[in-house]
Amino acid sequence: MKSPEELAKERLARIEAAVNLEEPDRVPFSGVGGDVIAAYAGITQEEFCFDYDKAKEAIVKFNRDFPCDWTFAAGFVGVGVPPFTYAFADDPDVSATVGMAMFGTIHDIIDDTCTRYPGREIEKNCSPQFIGGKFMEPEEYDDLIEDPVKFIAETIIPRICRNMNTPRKAMAAMIRLGMEAEKIKNFTIEVGKELAQLGYPAIPITLGYTPLDLIGDGLRDELNLILDLRRYPDKVKKACEALVEPILKAGLALKPLGVKYAFIPLHLNEYLSPELYNEFYWPYLKEVILGFAKEGIKSFVFFEGRHDAHLETILDLPKGWGIAYFEKTDVRKAKEILKGHTCVMGGVPISLIVGGTTEKIDAYVKELLDEVKPGGGYILATSVGIAPRETPVENIRALIEAVEKYGRY
Amino acid sequence: MLDEILKSIVEMEEEEAIKKAKEYLDGGGDPQKLLEVCRDAMGEVGARFEKGEYFLSELILGGEIFKQIMEFTLPKIKSGSVKKIGKIVLGTVKEDVHNIGKDIFKVFAEASGFEVIDIGIDTPEEKFVEAVKEHKPDIVGMSCLITAGVTSMKKTVDKLKEAGLRDSIKIIIGGGRVDESVKEFTGADAWADDAAKGVRLCKQLIGVEG
Repeated sequence: MKSPEELAKERLARIEAAVNLEEPDRVPFSGVGGDVIAAYAGITQEEFCFDYDKAKEAIVKFNRDFPCDWTFAAGFVGVGVPPFTYAFADDPDVSATVGMAMFGTIHDIIDDTCTRYPGREIEKNCSPQFIGGKFMEPEEYDDLIEDPVKFIAETIIPRICRNMNTPRKAMAAMIRLGMEAEKIKNFTIEVGKELAQLGYPAIPITLGYTPLDLIGDGLRDELNLILDLRRYPDKVKKACEALVEPILKAGLALKPLGVKYAFIPLHLNEYLSPELYNEFYWPYLKEVILGFAKEGIKSFVFFEGRHDAHLETILDLPKGWGIAYFEKTDVRKAKEILKGHTCVMGGVPISLIVGGTTEKIDAYVKELLDEVKPGGGYILATSVGIAPRETPVENIRALIEAVEKYGRY
Repeated sequence: MLDEILKSIVEMEEEEAIKKAKEYLDGGGDPQKLLEVCRDAMGEVGARFEKGEYFLSELILGGEIFKQIMEFTLPKIKSGSVKKIGKIVLGTVKEDVHNIGKDIFKVFAEASGFEVIDIGIDTPEEKFVEAVKEHKPDIVGMSCLITAGVTSMKKTVDKLKEAGLRDSIKIIIGGGRVDESVKEFTGADAWADDAAKGVRLCKQLIGVEG
């Protein structure tokens, strides 16, 4: 029996080998998380999002019973409010504590209008959800371009957060956030300690954003933004350029904690034609990735949806820049194009784990690994990490066993 | 003139398309013919999307142009004179509060001549059942974005079976996390993860060429 330290070392080496485009001892496996964690612990989604002790217990129990190399069932329990993160980009100590917090407790304090939480706006067993909204008019692009942090903090936040829309309410909310920050910090530390005892390596992660997604998710709403691309193209591009710096600043606020990766979930990538992608999206995302790289932080990009039309652009980045996690893009094809250049992650449709059988999962993983394992540089994961609460646990086990069975080099 | 309007819509020339459509009607043009041309244009936008020439951004912009032209065209057409090819009850399933996918599909379905009854987001199974009883649609369309929606879809299909309504309707599911295994799991008749494919399959489901 390996000690937790040995196990953690082994898992970390496995992940790092894949990221460095080498062959580890076995294909690293990133496990599922999401709603199933609370369900497995017998608590509601509401308890999971609002009760730190219950959430911690649920996370630990899940990670104990469904081991993997790199767990996403770790440090957060809800969905965030993107502009909130960047409102504090010039105050790294603040953005490092509450700016990135994705917890129901934060939602209660700020009362934002762009997320929906269980036991609040929606039924107590629902997934917390991000729906966004329109918080900025097209005439305001100039204000955003001139001073993005000031504009987001002083103009946008009061529009998004009902508890911050007057100076008095904002002051009270900030004090409450300060008090909550301590609890969140303790929660994160406690979860980290318990996971370390289970042999999970500590891999601190920060957050990055694509400028265009920040405008779409947090300011203009994605549909309005798509129309803006044709109506106000120059302003949109200038706004993207202006947002690169605050995005990097907020992300780097966690650098003193030893972060190695910046997680950048993409959203509008799939929406855009190659022309629009190369004009409005990729140049600024590339700046963010290269900005992190300059500070020794690798990017870990989730390419939502189908990224097929833009796959080749990834080759613009320096070799070994980070991890490309694909949702619906065929990882076989991605691996073919990116081998020797980029670590590829993904490969197992979440629908197979939700609705498939253990036999089907075994057969699927075998076939997948036959194709993508050779040469290393690959991390196996489900297409999205959020497993619904009815996900059959035997299917999660079957996935873990299949990686063990077919993933050895 | 109508040819130019069609071309402007397909080529995503928003201002030009709207300006020409207004001019056409102001000059005494037939609103019914304008409607048909706009529908053809949307059909072409969908076809280009399915060929990989267009992307979601073009579906969204095309839908927006269509909606804007319809705003001043539909009031000029006598209600009841627009022929519908079928009826769809459409909703985002229980526990999911997202509407974007549903709304994009709705524009394209309406542009293809379907009557769409939109029953909203976070729709309980019973509400789908009631809507089917009340509106007697040809097709039930269920949308979801989050993975939890997949199990809600299955429960909704099961409820429609229990209510004895399953055989009288076709069911199509749609959304970012939907695929062939989700279709099998839920017991739906078809699946799509984009609006263009969704509308084409709806036409096939009711035997209209798609």
